[in-house]
Amino acid sequence: MNRMISTDAAAELIRSGAALSVAGVEAALDRLPAGNWIGGTSPYFMVASGGTVVDDSKVFVTELSGIGQVSVASYGADELAGICGDAPENGFAVTIIPFGGACHQRFALDAASFPNAFLRPTVGWIAGVHLSEIGKTAPLVYDGRTAAKFRDRAVVAHVALPEDRLVSVEIVNLFEPDDGDILRFTEASFEIGTCEVNGKTVNFADYVAARGLEHGQQPLVGDFAGAHLNVSLQSLDNTAHRAALYAPVFPGVDYRFAKSVGDYAAVFRTRLTEQDTQGAVMACNCILNFVFGELEGKAIGGIEGPITFGEIAYQLLNQTAVIVRIL
Amino acid sequence: MAVPSPDHPCWQKLASGALSRMKTKHLGTQLLIKNIERSTDPVPVKAKEIHAFFAKWERGLSAEVQQLPYL
Repeated sequence: MNRMISTDAAAELIRSGAALSVAGVEAALDRLPAGNWIGGTSPYFMVASGGTVVDDSKVFVTELSGIGQVSVASYGADELAGICGDAPENGFAVTIIPFGGACHQRFALDAASFPNAFLRPTVGWIAGVHLSEIGKTAPLVYDGRTAAKFRDRAVVAHVALPEDRLVSVEIVNLFEPDDGDILRFTEASFEIGTCEVNGKTVNFADYVAARGLEHGQQPLVGDFAGAHLNVSLQSLDNTAHRAALYAPVFPGVDYRFAKSVGDYAAVFRTRLTEQDTQGAVMACNCILNFVFGELEGKAIGGIEGPITFGEIAYQLLNQTAVIVRIL
Repeated sequence: MAVPSPDHPCWQKLASGALSRMKTKHLGTQLLIKNIERSTDPVPVKAKEIHAFFAKWERGLSAEVQQLPYL
């Protein structure tokens, strides 16, 4: 099961012993009983009929019981290496982290260097809130073992697969790098002062403003050995001449700004049609795609799932859809 | 083609930079390549990590495994 159901039905599933990953608003997740589940806040979802915003009557449930043996864990900011380290040898770690805390920052900076990061993959998402509540309401995650909620912990469902199965972690990224300047950064950071543009040191915020990209709709696209990973602009401070990002940039990676995407929904439909979804068990997509693509009510196909404040496929991603398949 | 044994010389070569020449569209492999490029770990540590990766994912990475001795 990977779909929206009533909050009452989710509670029944938990009572029946099902292992779940659950997304919904705080008032809905607060009503779920203790059990074998993890959860995170989000009111936004992509379902068959299109993007939608829900109240506390519904939650989005991914049933993990049918995939493998599931055990729930939770980690503080100093313990995040356990996400992969404690994962089963043939399995993966479904991980939910609240936006904006130390866990979010540390995971984003360190995930690729965790022991076993590429042997026991981490997939999941960053919990958020309704956009009108940013700064007023905290994103939260839930450790279902006690139904406790946390502002700054990573909750994890470790899924052990049968011997003859493998997890496949895949992404759908609408953005292609442009053919222009190559940007490089000297340190891993969410906050940028200067960077190198074609080898010349410049102020990043000034560069973004000069290119007219302050709107943030076009992310930086990093070249990770051919994989295109986005870093989205959060804000520019034109007084302090600094920029804030939704994910860190890394030294040793070439970045370019993305080409503009025309019709988001149409491009998504095309890309998701091309994506192999056989064996797909879960997915998520980015709130920035939802907003900039005006995806509310627009069906784009693919796999249903939460709309999130960051996506996890081995490491933190932005403006990307993540799909997990079991092969 | 099977994954070469851990004592095959290809692993040291891959860990010394040859892995970056691999052609792949597999996300996990691409991220491993970039992580190995950026890592300051000693070559033997990198070599062990690369071998463990391809031993684990051999079944789904036949095109990549075929490249290993020739990069």
